[in-house]
Amino acid sequence: MVSQSHLYPPAAFGTSVSHLRVLLFLGVVTSWVEFVRCSAGATEPLHKQIDAVLVAHSGSSGVVAKSTSDASFLRRIHLDLTGTVPNPTRTRDFLADPSPDKRVKMIDQLLESPQYARRMQVVFDVMLMERRASTHIKSEEWEDYLWEAFRNNKSWLQLTNEILTADGIDERTRPAARFMLDRELNVDDVTRDIGRIFLGRDLQCAQCHDHPAIDDYLQRHYYGIAAFIKRSYVFKDPETKKSSIGEKAEGDLEFTSVFTAESEKTSPRILDASPINDPTPGPELYKVKPEKNVRSVPVYSRRLQLAKSVTDPGNVSFRYSIANRMWAIMMGRGLVEPVDMWHATNPPTHPELLSLLADSLLQQDYDLKYLLRELALTDAYQRSSQREEKEFDGEPGNGADFSVAMMKPLSPEQLAWSMMQVTGVVDQQLNSLIAKQDKKEDDQTVVDAVWKEKSLNKALRGNVVIFTSVFGTQGVQQARFDASADQALFLRNGDLIQRWVALKDGLSDRLAAMDDSDVAQEYYVSVFARMPSTEEAKLIESLLVESKDRNADIRQLVWAGLASAEFRFNH
Amino acid sequence: MRRDQDCNGIDHLLARREFLAGSAAGVMGANAIGLGTLTSPASAAALEQQQKRVLQIYLQGGVSQLESWDPKPGTQYGGPFQAIPTSVPGMHISELLPHTAKRMHLLSVVRSINSKIGDHRQGMLFMEKGRRAGEYPYVGSVASRYLAPENSDLPGYIHISKRGINDSTSAFLGARHAQLKLDGDKPPENLIAPSGIEDSADEAREKLRIQFNRRFTKQRSPALTDVYNSSYEAAAKLMKRKAIFEGKALAKDLDRFGQHDFGRHCLLARDLLENGATCVKVTHHGYDTHAENFNFHLEQLGEFDKTFSMLLDDLHDRGMLESTLVMVYSEMGRTPKINSKYGRDHWGTAWSMAMGGCGIQSGAIIGKTNLDGTKVAEREVDPGHLFHTYLSAVGLDSSADHDLSGRSIPIGDPAAEPISELLS
Repeated sequence: MVSQSHLYPPAAFGTSVSHLRVLLFLGVVTSWVEFVRCSAGATEPLHKQIDAVLVAHSGSSGVVAKSTSDASFLRRIHLDLTGTVPNPTRTRDFLADPSPDKRVKMIDQLLESPQYARRMQVVFDVMLMERRASTHIKSEEWEDYLWEAFRNNKSWLQLTNEILTADGIDERTRPAARFMLDRELNVDDVTRDIGRIFLGRDLQCAQCHDHPAIDDYLQRHYYGIAAFIKRSYVFKDPETKKSSIGEKAEGDLEFTSVFTAESEKTSPRILDASPINDPTPGPELYKVKPEKNVRSVPVYSRRLQLAKSVTDPGNVSFRYSIANRMWAIMMGRGLVEPVDMWHATNPPTHPELLSLLADSLLQQDYDLKYLLRELALTDAYQRSSQREEKEFDGEPGNGADFSVAMMKPLSPEQLAWSMMQVTGVVDQQLNSLIAKQDKKEDDQTVVDAVWKEKSLNKALRGNVVIFTSVFGTQGVQQARFDASADQALFLRNGDLIQRWVALKDGLSDRLAAMDDSDVAQEYYVSVFARMPSTEEAKLIESLLVESKDRNADIRQLVWAGLASAEFRFNH
Repeated sequence: MRRDQDCNGIDHLLARREFLAGSAAGVMGANAIGLGTLTSPASAAALEQQQKRVLQIYLQGGVSQLESWDPKPGTQYGGPFQAIPTSVPGMHISELLPHTAKRMHLLSVVRSINSKIGDHRQGMLFMEKGRRAGEYPYVGSVASRYLAPENSDLPGYIHISKRGINDSTSAFLGARHAQLKLDGDKPPENLIAPSGIEDSADEAREKLRIQFNRRFTKQRSPALTDVYNSSYEAAAKLMKRKAIFEGKALAKDLDRFGQHDFGRHCLLARDLLENGATCVKVTHHGYDTHAENFNFHLEQLGEFDKTFSMLLDDLHDRGMLESTLVMVYSEMGRTPKINSKYGRDHWGTAWSMAMGGCGIQSGAIIGKTNLDGTKVAEREVDPGHLFHTYLSAVGLDSSADHDLSGRSIPIGDPAAEPISELLS
């Protein structure tokens, strides 16, 4: 027991004990000794520890793919941290840079860019709202709120606190109330999504009865969470028309199993933590009494206990869930997969790795940028997505051992921005925005990276929305890639893509102005962010030599690049 | 288990195999099981012939049970219309459905639905998903996933409607099984190659795309690229079948079906089913009759009755009815009580639907409402039971889990079961 105390800061001491209990329960670790060994080596940077755990896990037999090429690393990290592919200048500069630490420098540079905030805004918007329609809070306000949060590297702890406590009255945190408000404070929707998103557990099937197939999802878990929010409701101010959250001081939760017809009562509780009983009520139950057109505020709020209980260090599922989701974003697959289905029969593939990530996050006060940086620095992240010829047997596998980089489909937003970047839409839009700003003689703003990013995002937002409506899905986001005929029709025959491919002074025109022998390199650097192989260059040259309508053929070439699998995936 | 004999035993077995494969997806590879993996071409062909289909006619707004499947003439809330005998001895339906009445030996009626939901959207979701709440696929997406042949030319789930948003219908079953929504009988969007790109150029750019892909897939797992590539193949197939969507309905067909939207939509539905579509849903709007319930039903059901009857005849004549489940349904019924504007309001307590075709006992009446139609008197069911029934009728085991790795999600609500006496 003594050996434990130096592993954790004193404040978190209590948590390591309950943490171990969970691991023992899940059969993840079998002894104190193993637990200590897993936690040792804390002086090493996290990314080294991660790679060490992966090596230890796969044993000596583990064959891993080699480190990926600089070009492929650059495209990968750009998509993951900024949401778009690198432009040709950046690709050329990076390939020419001889310094051995250029990957580290690139990671740090991208993490500080305003595009990083945008990328994270999208990732967390989709994670928290799952492309629901916005009704009570404007999506722009919510997006700005998230953008600012990630620009300032707000911790996940603080973000969660704000999202679960905001009542929509305080203007500074009003957008954070969207999580509850745009679910209409529907008890079932909010309960399920708190379980899924913040705790990594989809308790939907435990709503009407203990889960039929999963022994550790119980009906009382579901209703324990529901009890926090059962008394809250959407209040619409009749004058301002603004929605906010009101709450009643009474109302208990009783639930009945449809299988056994047994009823139980529960106070608010997170999973198996102790229930939080209401304090003995004083003479007044309300700060503001419920009346017609009045938002009632109780003296004791059950809903305000929620954030505290969810983020309590004793509730390990909070940090495990976010660590797992961050891993999945970077690596293409959660250590628990699906990311919201952690239970005894679907345990993490690498339990010791997941606890390492979760505990590091706790020690770093839930600094997500720190975690993403460490993940990007691992050998695992920087592996090739191609296996060596001799060991490749064509077996798909699910990639769960992370011995080879997994392919990640581009999100609708990544796809839209990458296509606009490649075809020249982004550059033209930016130039025209700068020209407009120049006329106002404001030299300072036009060079400002934040101004550029925000203006560009606003100007091209409409195109991104089209992509999210074609490629996005509402509701639980499926990790499994799927593609439908109407999406392919959109890419093949849709006006938007055709316009981009044929953009005046865009990529196709730029290529058309070049000599046959120069086209291949510019094409590959622009579209695929890499140099062509000799064979690939030859193919393009011969295509141009045989061409009867050079301009048209170049446009078809650009289209084929955008429509290719190499473009569709982050690899 | 009579349904196993009638609804082809092999098919049932196939369904079982798919579910078993799901639990071993890691070993066998998800989605690998389908018609393509059957080793005997003879049995594959037999199966394709026996392909089960679903036709959904959705009467949007909530058709009145009293003016359709459960008339109560001469009672307190019965309204002005009479009940007429049907081709099934002893079965009466509203006089607003004279053509349908002659074909009731092909259909059955459920008169005892209590969904407890009087809301358009929630009621529709319960009917489509068989669950009161939560993220589950619609009937059509389930049909697409488990009934559609792998090599089908048409998407598995096509919805013909003039209104409404494009719902996400497939939940965890993925984009391939989401509904393809058609705006009436207009072709799907982007079906025609862009102007200025000749067929030869179109072919050339496709060839280039495939060439790029071949290079890219080397030494990589083909799982994702195959899915992506197959979406282009599906798009190309759909483009080749564009004639179906070009509204070249024959005049004599239109005369029979009716020269109106619903007539054209039902003709398109017939053609799509005949050409291998697995589930086709046609939405007929205009049943939300809070005012003038009787005039509106006279008009709307007049349009429905003749058209639907012609469609049923065609499916029957072409021998497709044995393999096609037909559902005529709403998201709720309408109040027995007639309001001051001669309307009937939203009502989830005691209402009806009709179904027939594949796997359904025909000419049956399931359940009963009380004398005034204010309550279910016998054999109460809800959309959870109906959902199990549709899927059982087309030979699926609705109590099995979905074919998903890492998740255990029962296809139908485990607290409900099929209406067994309705299954043939």
